[in-house]
Amino acid sequence: MGRLRRSRAHHARRDVHRASRTRARTKDLDQIQLIDLDPKNRVKLEAQPIDYELPGLAQHYCVECSKYYETDNALQSHWRSKVHKRRVKQLKEPAYTIEESERAAGLGREGKRPTSSTIPVSGDVAM
Amino acid sequence: MRVEKCYFCSTSVYPGHGSAFVRNDSKVFRFCTSKCHKNFKMKRNPRKVRWTKAFRKAAGKEMTIDSTIDFEKRRNVPVRYDRDLVQTTIQAMKRVGEIKRKREHAFWKNRMAASREKQRAHRKKALEAAKESSTKLVTPLESPESSKVREKIKVPAKSRSALIQGEGRSMTMDID
Repeated sequence: MGRLRRSRAHHARRDVHRASRTRARTKDLDQIQLIDLDPKNRVKLEAQPIDYELPGLAQHYCVECSKYYETDNALQSHWRSKVHKRRVKQLKEPAYTIEESERAAGLGREGKRPTSSTIPVSGDVAM
Repeated sequence: MRVEKCYFCSTSVYPGHGSAFVRNDSKVFRFCTSKCHKNFKMKRNPRKVRWTKAFRKAAGKEMTIDSTIDFEKRRNVPVRYDRDLVQTTIQAMKRVGEIKRKREHAFWKNRMAASREKQRAHRKKALEAAKESSTKLVTPLESPESSKVREKIKVPAKSRSALIQGEGRSMTMDID
């Protein structure tokens, strides 16, 4: 790999492919929004028991970004950062889910209410 | 047999086609092509990618609220085979499809009619802006100098005869 290709491809980030492996997969936005941001789960995530395997013994965790920090100082400065603020903004709008992809394809779920209040019978549908 | 929908672009994924990703919370994401799978791996939001169905629905490009959309459903309880039911269902599917097509066409026409006016106004504005900003043609001022007629410079015409020597077209032999 030449110098220019290294600096121009993938925003000069090293190991893009390694970071995108399934093993290194980070939490998706819908997982964070629908599960982690729930107050009950949030409390649990913020007060985790000491884990020697995780950075900072899992004591400094950012729920929005699902990331562990080494020190409280580092976590505080992360909260002030652009990366965190951008993430919070992304989490404000409803997450995209499998249900939404099916709804976009015109496939509803049985048992749930239809989008319109009246269910016309196929015979008397007005044009 | 079940026809699945692509997670990213919402097209139908037939059995034996596409690929699936199972997340560690046992949610199954199905993809029609590697294109959709790659976009998913890049963590793109399908609502913001213009070629997906989700974008078109979210941006109001396609009909979202209609009674014909509610017929198709994911049914997890199997129905016992019934000859009459199948027949009526197939008939109903055709009829509903026909109605849906007509309504979608009407929706599209309505949308285009609204956008056409916008487009016209935009074009008019752009044209006027271009007219003002472009270089204006100025009529040349009448001056006494310009009225002068250019005199032709007379060049003595050379005789172009092959018999006369010169310019390499003589018929005679040149002697150095």
